[in-house]
Amino acid sequence: MRSIVTIAVSYLLLILQSTVLELAPVRMAAPSLGLLVVLHVGLSEKWSVSSAAVVSFITGYLLDLVSGAPQGVHSLVFVLMVLFARALSARVTVAGLILPAAVAFVASLLAAVMIVVVRAQVAPDGGYGGLRQAPLEALLTGFCGPIVLGILRRIDGRIDATRSRVGLARGPRTAGDGMTLR
Amino acid sequence: MTGSKRVRESVIVAATLLLAVIALRMSARAPGELSTLDRGILRVVSPAQAVMSTVARAIAGVAGRYVELVHVRGENDELRRENSRLRAELLETRRLAAESGRYQRLLGLKDLTPAETLAARVISIDASPYFRVARVEIDRGEGTVRRGMPVLTPEGVVGRVNRVAGRTSDIMLLVDPRSAIDVFIPRTGGRGILRGKSGENGYRCSIEYLVHGAEVREGDKVVTSGLGGSFPRDLAIGKVSKVGAATVNMYQEVEVTPDVDFARLSEVLVVAAPPPAPDPEAGAHHPPAPTRGLSVYR
Repeated sequence: MRSIVTIAVSYLLLILQSTVLELAPVRMAAPSLGLLVVLHVGLSEKWSVSSAAVVSFITGYLLDLVSGAPQGVHSLVFVLMVLFARALSARVTVAGLILPAAVAFVASLLAAVMIVVVRAQVAPDGGYGGLRQAPLEALLTGFCGPIVLGILRRIDGRIDATRSRVGLARGPRTAGDGMTLR
Repeated sequence: MTGSKRVRESVIVAATLLLAVIALRMSARAPGELSTLDRGILRVVSPAQAVMSTVARAIAGVAGRYVELVHVRGENDELRRENSRLRAELLETRRLAAESGRYQRLLGLKDLTPAETLAARVISIDASPYFRVARVEIDRGEGTVRRGMPVLTPEGVVGRVNRVAGRTSDIMLLVDPRSAIDVFIPRTGGRGILRGKSGENGYRCSIEYLVHGAEVREGDKVVTSGLGGSFPRDLAIGKVSKVGAATVNMYQEVEVTPDVDFARLSEVLVVAAPPPAPDPEAGAHHPPAPTRGLSVYR
């Protein structure tokens, strides 16, 4: 249930990402909203690493289709990013306003480097160039980070509330838990 | 975590990584090919993108009008009402005139292009800054559009079709780093390969392997050469905006700013069929010239 809702939300965010630039007065970079979904599932203790990886893969695959990128580029990068987020969540509690923004900023830069590297493997003619826009994209992603992560947390909370009403309440993930899709 | 659960978690994570790598390898082997699943997903995604694009443009229009109206707040109520009404009418008229102008120029280009063309509406552009791709929707001609077909506007070349799924197609813009177009500078006679510079601020591309004909200057026009079997010759590409320092070898690198304003791309023409083949007799009496027209679409 949680995975399906999150995938639906990421689908809407990706559609928004692909059209939001229509509103911009000048052509600029767009925030990487799909990456924020990946960060949410990677950082949240309610998600097992396997279900987070599956949702990240699907989000990346959808972004590949929406953006016209070669299939697999964003899927691979997003799965790697979710592992990065999970590793980070074991060391740092990402809460408040500043920390999620900072994490989103750094993750966006890291993802940009990975995308360019993976792109170079698929289309060698394209080379490794194209990172000049990465800082602006990272800034926008960092700015949107607390908002989108907050919304996704609320959605998770709503799902928990619904589950507890129907007697399916589940606490935070512990070391003993492990599910693929919830 | 128990041992079996840990193994299961690891297997699932490894499987997602493996799937991603397999998808990458498949797209590297056959770029532009879409699986049945991909086509199915795109059939769901594209209409939503089209609707969102329409909504976004409408909101942008309303916001633009609001900004216009803010400037007349200092005037008295009656004048303000009158003024706003007139401004709204004027904006609407201008919008309609601009739209009409765009369609007329598109129709003009359609008449001038010696090939069968299909009009298409842009429904999204640059969802990722690392891949310069526009998605277009074509009302008619489903099944006609194929990979490699050139895409134009009255201003010049937009790019070429990269993927097709039903009524929608992905256009790899000429500013995408994967794009390579054989171009020609009419003033100097120099030829080279135009490549995109993805991720740059703005839309730029550069000519690689430009053979020195004469010294290239800023402002020189760049057009398609017709070589390479994709684009008809003499289609406008852009103007030279920066000339690199002279290199020690025989090549010179120049930066080109495209004539097409990709940021405001709304309608395009897909060249769906090649123009008539050149006269075979002509080739017998003249040295080989760039092909005029489109030969092979994959």
